[in-house]
Amino acid sequence: MLKLNDAIAQLDQANSTEALIVATRQLASLTNLAAAPKLIEVLSFNNPAAALVAVDGLIALGQEVVPSILSNLDAHNYGARAWAIRVLADLGDVRGITALIDALLNDVGPSVRRTAARGLGDLRLKTETGDGQEPLNRCIQALLQARKDGEWVVRYAITTGLERQIQSGQLSSELKSEAYGVLEELASDQEDTNVVRQRAKLALQRLTAP
Amino acid sequence: MQESNTSPTEGTPISEGEAIARLRQTEDMANRYYAAWWLGRMRSRHPEAVPLLCQALHRISSLEPETGPEQGHGRGHEKGVDAKAIAMNAARALGRMNAQASIPDLLDVLDADDYRLREVAAQALGDLKAAAAVPALTNRLASGTNGAGKPSSEGSPQLNEPCEAMLEALGEIGNSSAEIIAIITPFSNHERPLIKSAACRALLQLTEDNSWAMSIEKLLNHPQALVRRGALIDLGAVGWLPALKAINETQVENSLKLIALKGLAEHGRPSRMTPTHNIPVLEAMDALL
Repeated sequence: MLKLNDAIAQLDQANSTEALIVATRQLASLTNLAAAPKLIEVLSFNNPAAALVAVDGLIALGQEVVPSILSNLDAHNYGARAWAIRVLADLGDVRGITALIDALLNDVGPSVRRTAARGLGDLRLKTETGDGQEPLNRCIQALLQARKDGEWVVRYAITTGLERQIQSGQLSSELKSEAYGVLEELASDQEDTNVVRQRAKLALQRLTAP
Repeated sequence: MQESNTSPTEGTPISEGEAIARLRQTEDMANRYYAAWWLGRMRSRHPEAVPLLCQALHRISSLEPETGPEQGHGRGHEKGVDAKAIAMNAARALGRMNAQASIPDLLDVLDADDYRLREVAAQALGDLKAAAAVPALTNRLASGTNGAGKPSSEGSPQLNEPCEAMLEALGEIGNSSAEIIAIITPFSNHERPLIKSAACRALLQLTEDNSWAMSIEKLLNHPQALVRRGALIDLGAVGWLPALKAINETQVENSLKLIALKGLAEHGRPSRMTPTHNIPVLEAMDALL
């Protein structure tokens, strides 16, 4: 426990970017869930290099860190929120679904919407028990709704997300045909960015390959 | 590096008709400025868009250099900085809209005394792949690194000519005669990395010789982030597929790598490469989301 307190104290005393990165790395290396609140705090320091280290540290802590992330999401710090979405997208935990959907549909930053779309594509929902069907439905509906996003990179991320969710084999036939419909739309002339069309075509090719 | 998307007052959605009306009026400069940007952003096909934007290019009195806010005078001319800012937005819009009809007007602007106007005109002419601009561009660059490529005054960030934009335009236009190559080549040794990168980019486009790509790839390890970003955008703009690995390993933010890789996927070179070469590019993009 002493080690954790030492690492936190060192982080609090860091007075340069370099010292902050070293201290964050040290704290992250403990892989101790009790370090999570401090790592989350680092996300709000407006220091991308340190935030990247903290993001990796939080992801390494695994799904148990999700509740702490969610309870700190409301902070009025835009940067911190963007980093937190990245952690949630990587963890793929169903408890992050509401935050990811909100980010995909409402965030002003294209890179945050892009990450959220990717995260929704990676979300693995257990449907055997039946209680995964409702979140799965919300997840796909959000991806479908965001297909008109003004940024090509978000639409690109949506094609990958839809491909992965169709591949998971858990979609009802109705959701599946809606998802295919959007991929076909993004592969057609209705989509004006070449690389998005290419990616949607690749998804369709892979999904229909024997 | 032509990715400067200046969005003046983003957020107020207007209709195409409204944009045309705002550009037609001459009272409110801010409205004209916004309308010029909007028409380019939306790639408007309205029949009045190109003529109005071309007029905006010429509303600067005899295209004088910046002398102060009162530079524009006489009827029909807009005041100094406003008129120049509107003309710059108009030039960018014409490039984005692929307005081939505007080439003669843009060639006039390429002769402006003002550096920034010449710069945007060169960029737009490059976007339009305007072969008619080659003589003017090569004339301006023919004096080489000690003429066109020399700082306009001691320690100035500006060179005598907007070399970066002009070199890039020559690469985009795609005329690869020996004479043009000979004019561009000295700039590949320019002391400024961004000029060097622009020259190598143009030479790579015109010759498809991998050694020019290697010169750009070296800049991907430059200590300055600005240089790394510029080199990355240049490799992407050329669409040089063999650069995939180098782009992926560069220390820059994912958003920028995605833009560069989009360039590889969309303009894949060397030209003998087939569409299946794009699959590794798309997979690399997937991993950066």
